[in-house]
Amino acid sequence: MVTMKKTASQKLKLGVFVVVGTLLLIAALYSIGNRQNLFGSNIKIMTQFSNVNGLELGNNVRYSGINVGTVSKIQMIGDNQIVVEMLIQEKIGKHIKKDAVATIGSDGLVGNMIVNIIPRESEKPPVVYGDTINSYSKIGTDDMLTTLNVTNENAALLTADLLKITTEILEGKGTLGLLINDSIMAKDLKLTIYELRKASTGASQAIIELKDIISSISESESIAGVLLSDSISGQKMKTIVNNLEQSSVEITEVSKNLNIVLKDIKEGEGALNYLSNNPDLVKNIDSTMNNIKQGTQRFNQNMEALKHNFLFRGYFKKLEKEKNKGSKN
Amino acid sequence: MTQSLRIVERTKAFFTEIGDLSFFAGRFFKEVFTRPFEFQELLRQCYYIGNRSLLLVGVTGFILGLVFTLQSRPTLMEFGAESWMPSMVGISIVREIGPVITALICAGRIGSGIGAELGSMRVTEQIDAMEVSGTNPFKYLIVTRITATTLMLPILIVFGDTIALFGSAIVENLKGAVSYQLYFNQVFDAIEYSDVIPATIKSFFFGFAIGLVGCYKGYHCKKGTAGVGEASNSAVVYTSMLLFIIDFIAVFLADIFFEI
Repeated sequence: MVTMKKTASQKLKLGVFVVVGTLLLIAALYSIGNRQNLFGSNIKIMTQFSNVNGLELGNNVRYSGINVGTVSKIQMIGDNQIVVEMLIQEKIGKHIKKDAVATIGSDGLVGNMIVNIIPRESEKPPVVYGDTINSYSKIGTDDMLTTLNVTNENAALLTADLLKITTEILEGKGTLGLLINDSIMAKDLKLTIYELRKASTGASQAIIELKDIISSISESESIAGVLLSDSISGQKMKTIVNNLEQSSVEITEVSKNLNIVLKDIKEGEGALNYLSNNPDLVKNIDSTMNNIKQGTQRFNQNMEALKHNFLFRGYFKKLEKEKNKGSKN
Repeated sequence: MTQSLRIVERTKAFFTEIGDLSFFAGRFFKEVFTRPFEFQELLRQCYYIGNRSLLLVGVTGFILGLVFTLQSRPTLMEFGAESWMPSMVGISIVREIGPVITALICAGRIGSGIGAELGSMRVTEQIDAMEVSGTNPFKYLIVTRITATTLMLPILIVFGDTIALFGSAIVENLKGAVSYQLYFNQVFDAIEYSDVIPATIKSFFFGFAIGLVGCYKGYHCKKGTAGVGEASNSAVVYTSMLLFIIDFIAVFLADIFFEI
């Protein structure tokens, strides 16, 4: 009886042991399967990439940072197109719009590859079973390294050049080298800077004074004030300036005409050119004028002689009487 | 000349033992599917092998989880990767450390126990008496024990893994302020079927190896009390070696089939 009791107790304990152990195993398997979306209802959506960067079956799919599914199939179609099939939880599927974009990223710096579905705030309908969403290929690590390689090469060239430049500077070559190494130049520069400082102080003072002058200009009592502030005077000034401008245009025109006339006079064959350019004519005119002068003197003498002639004496007396009469009146 | 002869003799003895063990395993597979089935004895053996080993496996697993996490933390912290601790510990325990350590503990406890028990039965001629009385000692003693170890070890490993993960979670909670929920979330995020299934299949083979070697050594025990001790000792040594060979083969096959 005791043996039977012991056996029954052993069987119970063994039963509990086996059941608990099996349940633990089943719970673990279910938990793992649940995280890989093997249980529950899922929808299948697809996307296409030209490079999947080491994405594998079972990698997580994230939507707005939440794990919502797994990669269920990766298939090559064409030469550089890879179709990635994803199983997404049905309850999440209604939040993913048809214009959502899939990208391939990494879970942390050294983590597994993941598919990120980026949401779009649009009014498009949600994805359904078998839909294909757009994809966006980010720059891969290899591409980044290639770019970095080029950058490094450029940096090496730049540093070589910089080294050359700094060596020359240290040796005192070139303007910068002189600036750094020449003590006399440094003194001169120091002096120049001192003078510049002085000049700038003076300029500053002058500006302050100028400011005072400007502020002291009365708006109505001085010419400058009127010039600066009176709009009527300003309008008049404008008219004057316009007139001046017009006059200057006309003067220019006149001077042009004068130039033409002078040119004609100078180069033409008219009387004026002859008058101005022929020296013989001047001599002739001069002698003619002398002759006329002499002739006039002789004519005056003749006229005086005529006054004393009896034939004309009466006429002259008559003229003198009328003249006197007019002066009395 | 004597030395070379000794080497030849030892090599010959080694291959003879391997062959004998293979015949022993073959006889087990022959007997296990033929009537009569010793269910009562099987259940009794399951109880002794399973339930009675649980405490030892549990304590070992708990300490394993604690120590493994404590030792790994500084290294991961150096790389700023302590957030990877649950994933790393989870995968390591489920895939490799849990099954191997539990199997080694069981090899020490169960393998030596079976070897000593059957050895003493052989020495005291109880097995011979069973044969004379018409009871099949192989069916009653060997088949039940090997079947019990084969069935119980996977369950013990599940318990051992679970308790080890709890031990690790306690350290992470105290040292790294990681909540238990977050810890187990990360563990189950990291573990995949390709980690659990090979480990579970492997654990059946571990159990079979422990039972087989323990029974073989005890069943073929030499006469005298020294023979019992030798049977018990060699059962542990051979089982431990066999466990690592099975583990290597299991990892190799898992790599082929599951691409771990």
